[in-house]
Amino acid sequence: MEDIVGQLWHKFISKVAYNGYPEQQVALADISNSLAVFFRAMGGNGGLKITEVNAFEHGAKQSLLQKIAGSGTHIELAWRDEDTLRLPAAIDVLPNVEQNRQLYFWLAALASIDDKPFEHLNWIGAAQAKTVAVLSQYPGLKKRYFELVALIIQHRPTLSKLKERDLAAEQAIRQALLEPGSVDRLPLSQRPPMPVMLWLNPNPPTKAKAKEASDDDDSSNDDDQSSSGKVKQSNNRKYQAEQQEEDSEQQKPSLLTVRHETDLFTLAEMFKLARSEDDDDDLDNASEIADDLDYLTISKDNKTRGSRIKFDLDLPAASDDDIALSEGSLFPEWHYKKNKLIKDHCCVIPMVSGHATPTPLPENLTRAARKVRRQFEALQAQRQWVRGLEDGSEIDLEAYINYCGERATGRLSAQPALYKHMLPGHRDLATLVLADLSLSTEASLSEETRIIDVIRDALFLFSESLCTTTDQFAIYGFSSKKRQMVRFTTIKGFNDKYDNRVRGHINAIRPGLFTRMGGAIRQATEILQKRPNAQKLLLLITDGKPNDLDQYEGRYGIEDTKAAIIEAKQAGLIPFCITIDRDAKEYLPYLFGSKGYAQIKDIQQLPSELPLLYAQLTGLY
Amino acid sequence: MTSTIQDAPFYQPIGNECELFEHAFKHKLPVLIKGPTGCGKTRFIAYMAHKLNLPLYTVSCHDDLTASDLVGRHLIADNSTIWNDGPLTRAVRNGGICYLDEIVEARKDTTVVIHPLTDDRRILPIDRTGETLQAPDDFMLIVSYNPGYTNMMKGLKPSTRQRFISLSFDYLPAAQEQLVVEKETGADALLAQRLVALANALRNLKDQDLEEMPSTRLLVYTATLIIAGFDHVEACRAGLIEPLTDEPETIKALMEVVYAVFG
Repeated sequence: MEDIVGQLWHKFISKVAYNGYPEQQVALADISNSLAVFFRAMGGNGGLKITEVNAFEHGAKQSLLQKIAGSGTHIELAWRDEDTLRLPAAIDVLPNVEQNRQLYFWLAALASIDDKPFEHLNWIGAAQAKTVAVLSQYPGLKKRYFELVALIIQHRPTLSKLKERDLAAEQAIRQALLEPGSVDRLPLSQRPPMPVMLWLNPNPPTKAKAKEASDDDDSSNDDDQSSSGKVKQSNNRKYQAEQQEEDSEQQKPSLLTVRHETDLFTLAEMFKLARSEDDDDDLDNASEIADDLDYLTISKDNKTRGSRIKFDLDLPAASDDDIALSEGSLFPEWHYKKNKLIKDHCCVIPMVSGHATPTPLPENLTRAARKVRRQFEALQAQRQWVRGLEDGSEIDLEAYINYCGERATGRLSAQPALYKHMLPGHRDLATLVLADLSLSTEASLSEETRIIDVIRDALFLFSESLCTTTDQFAIYGFSSKKRQMVRFTTIKGFNDKYDNRVRGHINAIRPGLFTRMGGAIRQATEILQKRPNAQKLLLLITDGKPNDLDQYEGRYGIEDTKAAIIEAKQAGLIPFCITIDRDAKEYLPYLFGSKGYAQIKDIQQLPSELPLLYAQLTGLY
Repeated sequence: MTSTIQDAPFYQPIGNECELFEHAFKHKLPVLIKGPTGCGKTRFIAYMAHKLNLPLYTVSCHDDLTASDLVGRHLIADNSTIWNDGPLTRAVRNGGICYLDEIVEARKDTTVVIHPLTDDRRILPIDRTGETLQAPDDFMLIVSYNPGYTNMMKGLKPSTRQRFISLSFDYLPAAQEQLVVEKETGADALLAQRLVALANALRNLKDQDLEEMPSTRLLVYTATLIIAGFDHVEACRAGLIEPLTDEPETIKALMEVVYAVFG
């Protein structure tokens, strides 16, 4: 009973003490796409991704009600680093939806401003200078900014309730908001002042946290006890996990030895604790514990490093492995030092996934799939006149003139073809997509995504768009382990219908071993060569250079791949490479020619880019 | 389309393109102009045609444009046919500039027709009439294309490319673009400056969110609407944002950028 009353009271008092308009809330997830476009248009880096920021304890004075309710202790402030723009998960502090939305856009505009010119300023100076920069660059935002300021000020602690130094600080902040650029420094206050939601977090947690962790690490090299943390996935909340890097040269004085005046809003420390392995039972509770922490710190640890990273180059167990369809066929390999093609040097084994089960299109792709399908359907509508028909919608003037000429000279054809008709454009194109499924595709791009996942999504969207066209396509994947085994996995053959079974095969792609490109390209060439189509495109999707365990690396791999590509061209194919390797410029022009490849700068864009690239390449546009 | 240009069109030179063009004309060399949509390729040619006092024959190439559309064809008359010169043939007969806009869009057989005109022979053989025309000294061939559109199946062949003096065009630096908007529309400096700032913000989105960058031409359209009394924001929506994309979400985001500039 007491529990229930307690809960009810907590609910009630929290609601009363809540300083916002929950029914007017705008969620980041709903507008993050628009925000991203806006951010980029304002000059923000296109590679940045937008995620939710987590709240931290600000330490500022709470209202009496908030104190009673135990709420209002945390705040979410936006900030940005080299690869992420972090914004509050939802905003409801302002009285209507449109204003809350405006606050998001204001924060995005502020975050798009380059930090460099303001590095010499203190945090309040920098915040004002950035505001001034945004307002002068985008004068249209002035009106909105001052509207937001007026509303935000209403949310700030009441002046009459503040004393002396706290009052002076609060007044300075209000002045800085109302007249940006007019406050040089913030007077010292007893308590940290209430953070300003219109400004970015002046002390984003990354650097500070990494530093603390590294300090800790350095001092405990000989510590036999180890700690380890596993982050359990939780849907409710995103954790800020900072991977700490070994950058001991860049040591700056530790955070705590410098007085950062009001910068220091929060403190979440990493302690190495001597925990026995039994404590792992506690992992189920880990997500709850993680919820209570402001930040999770992941540090490199001298004990657990090896056991946590799985780097296994052995083949999968037989029961888990793909099924080999035959013993394989032998292909030659180019030896550049000997300057000759070595016969039957490389064995390509056709395989098919042993654990693919029919699956529908993953839900997260349905929207994107609908979009590309629509685009491709529109492209298909390209039509052209077919002339010289016996029946058609219009007279073919040229044929008629010829006919008149012939009649005048006494030569008459029995059935004059004098009409023309608009027919759907005719294409006779076969495309073979060859996806590099080497181990490097296992690399993570973010907490949830690996390169292979992006490739998988790309293959899905590619297939979804292609199946609306008349173009025929097949998808194969490859990886290798020395010349005896180039695993050539069929994902979709030319004669397979694109259905849930094929989707299952796409879904089942896994990172394999190495990248012996030459053999795989020769095998793909052989398959494409047998197609009756007029045009044949060999589309290679890769994340790096050719390489394998044996001599197949560096120059040898490049030269053999080049030889295989030349063979493909001679066979009448059009080879084209799509890469996500940042260093691709160093070797791909050599392999495919300067027009023969495309580099996708933002790997995450590969799924949406691939169909468009295809459309451009094959003249659908 | 033939035109003799009466009034000098406004053109803002940015480098040595005018001198190059004049030299090419003097030495009877054909010119290839590449650049994105609406960056001033066509305007440049109109300007040069006026400057050199030459008639301009413009052909906008499209998928269905064949060699006979350029060279000419027989038309039906009373129980007979009459040969009718195409724009290329007319330019070769009378002298002047023949401008093939977006040449890559045309069918492949058109490039075969222009090849003999682009080397030192400067001839145009017409199969159907059995003529071979020698181009006069004041004939000049110009082709243009937008490299953004090119694809593998439909690019300009290297052998064709190599027959031209090539000029590359791009959008103007902000200050010059502002000047162009002012001159073209009579917009005041502040309006032109804001429009150019908006365009440059939108140009940041090329490849990632937008397929094409907003052109100077769109800026001129938008400025025209604003000067005619349209609300700034609505003029930008109609003149600048809607022409760029059809995605409702992107339009919304882009409108936020418009608000940021015009408020």
